[in-house]
Amino acid sequence: MESLLLQQILNGTVVGSVYSLVAIGLTMIFGVMKISNFAQGDYSMAGAYVAVLVFAFLPGWLGWIGSLLAAAALIGLLGVFTEKFVFRPLLDRSTDIDIIMVSIGLFILLENLALLFFHATPRMIPDPFGGATIRLGFASTSVMRLVCLIFSFAAIALLELFLNRTKTGVAIRATSENRHAALLMGIDVNRIYGITFGMGTAMAGIGGVFYGTLFAVYPMMGVMPTLKAFIVTILGGMGNLRGAIFGGLILGVAETLGGTYISMEYKNAVGFVIIILVLLIRPSGLFGRRESL
Amino acid sequence: MSASASRLKAVLGIVVLIAVPWIIRDRYFLHLLITAGIFVILTSSWNLLAGFAGLLNLGHAAFYGAGAYASALLAIRLGLTPWIGLICGGLVAGVFGFLLGIPSLRLSGPYLAITTIGFAEILRMVAMNWVSLTRGSLGLYGIPPLTAIRLGPGMRIDFYSERNVYYILLLLLFATIFCFRRLTRSEFGLTLKAMREDEIAAESIGADSNRYKLTVFTISAFFAGVAGAFFAHYQRLVSPETIGLGETFTILTMTVLGGLGTLTGPILGAVLLTFLSEGLRFLEDMVKIDVRMVIYGLLLIVTMLFMRNGVMGLLTRVTDSVLSRKKG
Repeated sequence: MESLLLQQILNGTVVGSVYSLVAIGLTMIFGVMKISNFAQGDYSMAGAYVAVLVFAFLPGWLGWIGSLLAAAALIGLLGVFTEKFVFRPLLDRSTDIDIIMVSIGLFILLENLALLFFHATPRMIPDPFGGATIRLGFASTSVMRLVCLIFSFAAIALLELFLNRTKTGVAIRATSENRHAALLMGIDVNRIYGITFGMGTAMAGIGGVFYGTLFAVYPMMGVMPTLKAFIVTILGGMGNLRGAIFGGLILGVAETLGGTYISMEYKNAVGFVIIILVLLIRPSGLFGRRESL
Repeated sequence: MSASASRLKAVLGIVVLIAVPWIIRDRYFLHLLITAGIFVILTSSWNLLAGFAGLLNLGHAAFYGAGAYASALLAIRLGLTPWIGLICGGLVAGVFGFLLGIPSLRLSGPYLAITTIGFAEILRMVAMNWVSLTRGSLGLYGIPPLTAIRLGPGMRIDFYSERNVYYILLLLLFATIFCFRRLTRSEFGLTLKAMREDEIAAESIGADSNRYKLTVFTISAFFAGVAGAFFAHYQRLVSPETIGLGETFTILTMTVLGGLGTLTGPILGAVLLTFLSEGLRFLEDMVKIDVRMVIYGLLLIVTMLFMRNGVMGLLTRVTDSVLSRKKG
């Protein structure tokens, strides 16, 4: 009994770390640019397909590392590209509803382009460790899942380092604090927007590789990461990076526990019930509103 | 344009709509018209929220599905006549609309969007998993069509043929559009618009924004529910897919393409996209590639970027420039 509980908490933490990773990209984009990107999960889907393609040439764990790097780079570029041509023309003259609608257009477009090129058949990202498992005290898990957990947190830590220790990172934070002041200090805000969106989607791309490893890769897989990322982001407060980390872990654990002890069928409803309750009681999220990084 | 000219145009339009089934006798074409008509009710009611009130509801398919399931279940389980079912479907959806309106009082933008998606997803999961009531993913089948109307001995109008269904839908459409026209031009509609532009300012001049939001959510949901009930008795099959996010996104694309926040825009968008997607189906048969949804996505992005007021805005601009050229 006790070990089942611990086991489920561990499983939830693994899934939750991936939720955090995708959500941190979303919350970063929102914090700096006030864009609610409903296509976020489709950048994850694209990242997962990058991994599938890389594995076709490079098998084993080399392929896995390669696909993480390739997903980050390519999906980041895709993000920079879409920011420039889809979001930037709208930024100055539209309401948040317009931005949401254009991102939904992007969502429909990316999803169906993937369907066009890769067809509906689900694909797997092979486990480079051959399904080996490891025992940690009461609970056991596959090496693969543990690696996902570690890499997710490594990616998040790298992002934090970048935002706090580099000049560009500080410029991103300054822009999110106050765009006009940043402009006056000589920061090229448009460049910062491009970088921010690219990094946010790169996070989604890396998260997509993990998603594809834990679940499966198919064109419609992007809906789940998008919805989970929004739930996590609202839980943690939109624009709040630390909030996104905790939000992801809370959601991951709550879902696995809900799935085990309440009902497997309604596992995906757990997150929605939590945020509807949270929004009713605390409209700014569990960790308060902090709309800058 | 003078009032009499526009009245003449309206009468002409109605005559054409009534005559269509006698001119084009193709059953498939009528089926498309009915599909477009159902979408017109959906886009117009969604537009009431998103366009006029500025409330981005991404769970509209839930109202549609609630109406469809309610009316279908009442007919199958209790033998209730579909005519009353249409109203019951609307009422059930209206209750859901009221309930979803409550959290919406304090939320906007992405918060409202995700709450409404969550509501629809939960409803879809219930439809999927409450197998003893809804038959799960198989869906409800064997839903009776609208009950035949007896006019006298040996004289009856039944609703197995598309043509008769089409006329009932036409009545429903006229009623819906008449209501929405009255509503948006009344003080109620003006207050909604004022709230969309600046909620605090509207409240400061005495608009009770909570009451208005709840009312518009309930009305919008009621009409979507009626459309769902009508769909259930026409298609005679309802599945959890009806409540899916894809359905809401189709409604959104149609409305934005036609012109958000106008009365004619959603009608235009629904008809255009229904027929466009059929045209594309023929294209797909030729090239063997599924391009329909790719084009939906592109259309939505292009409309948002280059013609914010949709096809309606484009039409107005073109006619305006033609008129000014005539004068000048």
